[in-house]
Amino acid sequence: MPFHHAARIALAGLKTNKTRSALTILGIIIGVTAIIMVVSLGQGAKDLILSQIEGLGARVIGIIPGRQPKGPTDVLATLTASLTERDFSALQRKENVPYAQDVIPVVFGSETAYYNGQTYRPTLFGGNESMADIYDSYPERGRAVSADDVRSAADVVILGWTVADTLAPGQDLLGDRIKIKGRNFLVIGIMPKKGGASFINFNESVFLPYTTAQKYIFGIKYFNRIIIRADSEAHVAVTVEDVKATLRELHGITDPDKDDFGIETQADLLKTVGTVLSTLTVFLAMVAAISLVVGGVGIMNIMLVSVTDRTREIGLRKALGATNRNILTQFLLEAIILTGIGGIVGILLGAGLSFAISLVISNVFGLAWDFTFPVGAAVLGILISTIVGLIFGLYPARKASHMSPIDALRHE
Amino acid sequence: MPLMEVKNLEMTYTDEDVATPVLRGLSFKINRGEFVTVMGPSGSGKSTLLHILGLLERQSGGEYFFGGKQTSEYSEDEIAKLRNKKLGFVFQSFNLLPRTTVFENVKLPLLYSGIKEELWDTMARKAIDAVGLSHRLDFEPSQLSGGEKQRVAIARALVNNPEVIFADEPTGNLDSKSGEVVMDIIQKLHNEMGHTVILITHETYTAEYAERIIRLRDGMIESDTKVLNRRTGKLFQK
Repeated sequence: MPFHHAARIALAGLKTNKTRSALTILGIIIGVTAIIMVVSLGQGAKDLILSQIEGLGARVIGIIPGRQPKGPTDVLATLTASLTERDFSALQRKENVPYAQDVIPVVFGSETAYYNGQTYRPTLFGGNESMADIYDSYPERGRAVSADDVRSAADVVILGWTVADTLAPGQDLLGDRIKIKGRNFLVIGIMPKKGGASFINFNESVFLPYTTAQKYIFGIKYFNRIIIRADSEAHVAVTVEDVKATLRELHGITDPDKDDFGIETQADLLKTVGTVLSTLTVFLAMVAAISLVVGGVGIMNIMLVSVTDRTREIGLRKALGATNRNILTQFLLEAIILTGIGGIVGILLGAGLSFAISLVISNVFGLAWDFTFPVGAAVLGILISTIVGLIFGLYPARKASHMSPIDALRHE
Repeated sequence: MPLMEVKNLEMTYTDEDVATPVLRGLSFKINRGEFVTVMGPSGSGKSTLLHILGLLERQSGGEYFFGGKQTSEYSEDEIAKLRNKKLGFVFQSFNLLPRTTVFENVKLPLLYSGIKEELWDTMARKAIDAVGLSHRLDFEPSQLSGGEKQRVAIARALVNNPEVIFADEPTGNLDSKSGEVVMDIIQKLHNEMGHTVILITHETYTAEYAERIIRLRDGMIESDTKVLNRRTGKLFQK
């Protein structure tokens, strides 16, 4: 029998039992919808997070103090005081790191700020005059930290929007003084209100010269980071090597395994975070795929009921000349068409919901969230659901095909 | 060569070690173009005989030749093909597909026939025309009377132009008036188109159409007689 006849018989069989057919594929629809949503939203989240990382700039290199763990069993060496003013000056010298455009020492930590009886505990970032440029943290009003501020360890701060708004609601703090660790700091700048997610929550941060932060607030002589910006992307790799060589020489290290510092580039971070997020998405999609198997069991269950229900029809078809193979094909096709339709509906539903969620995220939360249609997951969803139909439809179809026509016709 | 021949045909159903003999050694021949009625009280084995002759069931003993060939030599697929091409069935309970139009119901055997699809509509129309239901083409079985349903079933049995039409109590679910209409159609098929008809009945008015009556009792032939068709006066001619 030509395939399109077989398909037509199967379709007619499904059409005469519309409600049952619809209920049967519900499990498949939900399963495929879940897969599409997990993959689509996972991709959206990944794109968002990676774009945030890229926002840090491809030319930025971060130097982290302390020995870096080499594996899960390696206890992180907590020698966090390994980056000092001496390292900073050495890295600034062109003969050591020729392609470094900016070198910024960074100290950070939390400390309570006071103003007029109000308190707030922001994250303090101490840096130099290049900090505002690298972090894109220019104040909305007032000025950024200057080289003079750094040299003189001036008592000046730039407040994040939330910090200013909490300490003095509805009041302009610019030119006023706030108190941190019993010392007065002149507010020289106020940051704009920033939306969106970022690695630094600018709204809840306070920026100040690193010299001031080291001396008067944290009481330390080392840095939590040294940030270097290369003059071009092409020079990032060679700059990383220059930094390593300079620091090793300075710290008297000959064995690279004993480095007391670590280096992070955007490329490393992109790779690591990208891998983690992809793994997570795949894992979640697999969990969702399990629901497809459950859906398949549902299909088998209903198909078995359907075979029993339609015993007379099977007997009649056989009496009229249908071969076992004809009957097998009919019921197998019914199962595959069902799961195929379930797959398509699931893809549309999953894509629609993902799109709606992406609209909500980008409009309500103001994040740069893009909807992506996961083509791979869609193809896989259809494929898996069809295979599920084939596997779970086979047993009922075989059962139907092996019925004796006369037993089937006698069946009441 | 007879169209069908059974020799010492036996059928025994075995259910949980209890053997129930239904047919106990039947032997007879049926020629092309005969109109045979099988009669007998219920439990005499007439339905079972029709199922075996109609290749819906295989006998447990004895031989059955269809078209000169032992039916045990046919494969499952060959038997399916025979059922499709050579045999037509009319059942007591109609067995039409629900929620499917008259037209589609009649086309059902064509689906399995290998006949070109372009011819289906013409063939189905012709068969429906032969039972006088051309005005009911797009009706579904639930919209038809019992007599009309049975006429659709006859059209379906007819559509592949089979050699033999098996009718198992075709009037059993009908009142005598629509029963007569159905029987007249079967008679016409036999007379005008030369179909061999094998009819099972226990109703005497139905038996009036026969030219040969095989009576069964307890799985054995009680009598096998040629009779005058009391409707047409035609006597069976060998």
